[in-house]
Amino acid sequence: MAEFSWEVRSPLERALVAGPFGTRGDAGVSLTEIRNFDLIQVMARRSKAAHMAEAAKGRFGVPAPDTPRAVDAADATLIWSGPDQFLVLSKSGKHAIEALGQAFAASASLSDQSHARVLISVSGTKARTMLAKLSSIDLHPDAFSIGAAAATSIDHTSVTLWRGTDGPDGQAVFNLLVLATFAESLWHTMLDAAAEYGVAIAHSEA
Amino acid sequence: MRIVCPFCGERELGEFTYLGDAKPARPAADAGEDAVFDYVYLRDNVAGAMSEHWYHSGGCRAWLKVTRNTLTHEISAVEPAAGAGAAKVGA
Ligand SMILES: [Zn+2]
Repeated sequence: MAEFSWEVRSPLERALVAGPFGTRGDAGVSLTEIRNFDLIQVMARRSKAAHMAEAAKGRFGVPAPDTPRAVDAADATLIWSGPDQFLVLSKSGKHAIEALGQAFAASASLSDQSHARVLISVSGTKARTMLAKLSSIDLHPDAFSIGAAAATSIDHTSVTLWRGTDGPDGQAVFNLLVLATFAESLWHTMLDAAAEYGVAIAHSEA
Repeated sequence: MRIVCPFCGERELGEFTYLGDAKPARPAADAGEDAVFDYVYLRDNVAGAMSEHWYHSGGCRAWLKVTRNTLTHEISAVEPAAGAGAAKVGA
């Protein structure tokens, strides 16, 4: 029998080349892949939505979003992903699926998406201008404030998009979760869209 | 054409998938062959306001019931289909 050895690696490992890309000079767009996260889909069972909301409050100390928002808890971000469902994004296994099972046993079904999505952070002075080429969501600060989220499509690919806390430079930060097998395609699309502004490409392990 | 998803807000047509007539209701188990034939195969060719099922496939993945005028594409109502967003529709 064949022996397999599984190596955990990012779906963007081949496509992502850290460093500058496109127009030279100050980068207008920063594209950073965030690696090594836990991502759990929590979906209420029929007629258990209120029960699930209570369980979420008990577990995270903040109400789970019931409209398209991303809510920061002390050690996790809860992102709306559809009616009666949300994603739990966290690090270091604290809210991994084993850890959440008990809390939601009576109200929701959990599904581990940690290795099924790629998380990309888009920032910089031209981030919104670049995303405007790809997304039909109005990302102007008046329409898409910090914590706003959307389940939408970019380049025919489903994504979960939300605005995080502004960066140290005061610029908006947009986070994007995309299905792993579509990540490379979307990555190239975003690079093409961002090239004219100059891109700083990076990835973080934590 | 744009559809205002009751969960997501206004979105472009490309995010949605069309299913078809939302009117046919599954007949009771003892309704007989004619009723089942009608339910499975027979459709009205509506010129005017029509109730349709749409799926927000490129968004929140909820099924919606959309009232659309097939002559003008004017959409007069959008609501969650039964079972979608259970908490909102009480299903
Ligand atoms: Zn929707």
